[in-house]
Amino acid sequence: MHGRVKVRTSEEEKARKDKEKQEKLKVFKNAMQRIQEKRKNSELDKELLELSGKVLSSNPDIYTLWNIRREILNIFRKDIEGEEMSQMYDAELHLTEYCLKVNPKSYCAWHQREWVLTTRADPDWNKELSLCNLYLKLDERNFHTWDYRRFIVSQCKPPLKGEFDFTTEKLYDNFSNYSAWHYRSKMLVELYPDLQGGRPIEDSHHKHELKMVQNAAFTDPDDTSAWFYQRWVLGAVKTTISLVVYTVTPFKTTFAFSKDVNEEFVMSKTRLYVNNEIVTGEWKSCVGNQYDLLWIFDHTTPIKDDLDVKVEFEKEDKCTQIIPCTKYGNSTYIGKNEVSFQRQYSQAVVEELNNQLESCRQLLEMEPDSKWTLLTTTIVLYCIDAKKYHKEVIKNLHLLKVIDKLRAGYYDDLITKWSIEEQLCLDFKTNECRLFKVAFDERISCLPHLQYYSYCEEIDLSNQNLSSKILPSLVVLQHCRKLSLENNNLTTLGNFPSLDLRELNLKGNVNLAKNEIEMLKEKYNYKIIY
Amino acid sequence: MSFTTKDVVLKEDRPKSLLLQKHSDYLASYGLNKDDYEYCMTEYLRMSGIYWSLTAMELMDQSSRMPKEEIIEFIKSCQDSESGGISASINHDPHMLYTLSAVQVLAMYDRLDAIDVEGVVRFVASMQQEDGSFYGDKWGEVDTRFSFCAVMCLSLLHRMEDINVNKAVDFVLSCMNFDGGFGSKPGSESHAGLIYCCVGTLSICKRMDALHADELAWWLCERQLPSGGLNGRPEKLPDLCYSWWVMSSLSMLNRIHWVDKKSLEQFILACQDAETGGFSDRPGDITDPFHTLFGLAGLSLLGNTSIKAVNPTYCMPQETIDKLKLEPQILHI
Ligand SMILES: [Zn+2]
Repeated sequence: MHGRVKVRTSEEEKARKDKEKQEKLKVFKNAMQRIQEKRKNSELDKELLELSGKVLSSNPDIYTLWNIRREILNIFRKDIEGEEMSQMYDAELHLTEYCLKVNPKSYCAWHQREWVLTTRADPDWNKELSLCNLYLKLDERNFHTWDYRRFIVSQCKPPLKGEFDFTTEKLYDNFSNYSAWHYRSKMLVELYPDLQGGRPIEDSHHKHELKMVQNAAFTDPDDTSAWFYQRWVLGAVKTTISLVVYTVTPFKTTFAFSKDVNEEFVMSKTRLYVNNEIVTGEWKSCVGNQYDLLWIFDHTTPIKDDLDVKVEFEKEDKCTQIIPCTKYGNSTYIGKNEVSFQRQYSQAVVEELNNQLESCRQLLEMEPDSKWTLLTTTIVLYCIDAKKYHKEVIKNLHLLKVIDKLRAGYYDDLITKWSIEEQLCLDFKTNECRLFKVAFDERISCLPHLQYYSYCEEIDLSNQNLSSKILPSLVVLQHCRKLSLENNNLTTLGNFPSLDLRELNLKGNVNLAKNEIEMLKEKYNYKIIY
Repeated sequence: MSFTTKDVVLKEDRPKSLLLQKHSDYLASYGLNKDDYEYCMTEYLRMSGIYWSLTAMELMDQSSRMPKEEIIEFIKSCQDSESGGISASINHDPHMLYTLSAVQVLAMYDRLDAIDVEGVVRFVASMQQEDGSFYGDKWGEVDTRFSFCAVMCLSLLHRMEDINVNKAVDFVLSCMNFDGGFGSKPGSESHAGLIYCCVGTLSICKRMDALHADELAWWLCERQLPSGGLNGRPEKLPDLCYSWWVMSSLSMLNRIHWVDKKSLEQFILACQDAETGGFSDRPGDITDPFHTLFGLAGLSLLGNTSIKAVNPTYCMPQETIDKLKLEPQILHI
């Protein structure tokens, strides 16, 4: 099915080929029939082994034939022992080797090899490892061979450092070997985790990997493999889950988290106090899933004016954090936590990042239109100090939209995400009202981190680039009364979530059919402006 | 180490419009000649072949051209009464891959009553291992493809409670890689086909939250090459079936707009064979039902209105999924 080029042939040639095929087919059908007869009659013998072997040699994917061979070998090994059985297993390995030459991606043949080696008493793992080395020389990207290598390693357990060094060797052969980068990533976190700091990779190795991967990426900036690895190494920081904001009103109490959490997490880590008494109640996911960003807390404690409300949250380091609240107008209590999206690296790694930034900038001067250099420069800037370099980062992303047109949609969403992060930090520190309105020049195309604004009463998303695919995300706006989606690109309202609104503005969505609005009007009784 | 991107160049005389009639003719005649060489040599995956053809026909609203009763009889005869599993063809052994294909075909025909459903549930559940993974059959091959087969199959039968869903999810998550993608087992390299299987599993189990959505979707959109086509791993050639594996995954991640739809559509259309009908893996290659389905399904995701809407998780018509009242998860953005 793959890679078979259609070739034009003369009538004569075609007739000859067809005849050849019909001959082959006859032989094939006879053999298959014979095999199935023998199996039905329980003649699981050497002849059947031979017959099935012949068919498999040219059709290694007929899985049932491998099953038959295992059945036969399972019977044989009850009676035959030692050298004789060993030879039979060797023959089986030989057959799989032959089949893998026909089709190096045959799942069946690879699996048969694993079966033989885990079934026989005398597997020669070193020989298998050498075979892998050979196969990886023939095709360094065959993922079946890599999987098989991992299988052997899991069985004979050589020192992992040896495997790590093997990836280094492979990469210095060819930096473009994504499979080797992948394997390296697994070895790296296994061999060198940062046990004290809780980061994925220990400091000196983090630095070393950054150096190595940059060297690789700069050797050939058009090859993508190293850039993916680099982006991962850059992102290898500690992440924790925090309670970002809680909102307590007489009607509803909600808790928003930085990541999706389950009921058990919320229940065990979060405690709401009213006048120094723990409030008990039931937790409900906002969307109705097992894990969610926003949790609704159903309780019967009356929420009135002049209460003392606070929340205790147990952080990952087991320390308990007390999040106080601010009172807003009519018996509404909102507690905002400190938020930061800045990645936390060690000092040594930050120094290395600054070095890399310098080299990136130099390379960029020579080739200002190099996508990967520009993208990496941008990400490094974001990693070092997202706030300080914000303007430059956004400018670069706009440039990337032009250089790398195919992925313009990705860059748009990244501009949105990083701009929202900027505004969020400010809003959480200084904004005293319950309004969210985009406060930067970019038009947003998606709604990242929207649960952070779950406390808002008014959400103004007018004059943006929002399409209907964002509508289900609005479900976190559980306290919103006034929502504007004026002048966006909505096309349908079929997936508009159920919200407790008073007013919804849908004006200026020119491709939105009137009957869609009528349907929404029938369903909900809030005011819809259009 | 000078080096050029692996890609294809689309020729000027390539097909530029959708040849629906040709494809429907191609699939209707495929397998009519039971002595056709290709047909006979692919007997070991017949059940999936039927699923590819029928789904493609359904998407073109042409499924009446398939021999419905014959297909249902065939499926019945492929169920193993002992294990409950279904095989690729008569005289072959039951396997997860073909059990799923059979269930998908019967779901589209609304004829799940034709087989022993309890048997299927028993077979699928018996394949789950202590670590949550699934075997393909009793011989012990483990692969995330089989996890997907299991949850797809059981959700179509509304019998998810017969397996340990949390463990199934945990196993799939243990296959996540540095790039946010997934491979066939823990430690395996990311591959768009297996990403589809793993994201699909999480979509059915409603655990999409566990994904690193932005990292994964970025890796996926980087599969698009200048020709517009998509490859399945970095530095590989484009292949039409990845239009499905990548685009369906991006659809579940709600980030389909991260690839350039226009140029992908051009690539897909260029994979049609204007003479024989059907789609192939790359322009100029021989067509087959597998790529024909994924070409059509890919176009459907891109919004082509002459094809019925396809569900990105199940790769079946959306109307079938609606009828079964299934709601696989799609991420918020
Ligand atoms: Zn393909």
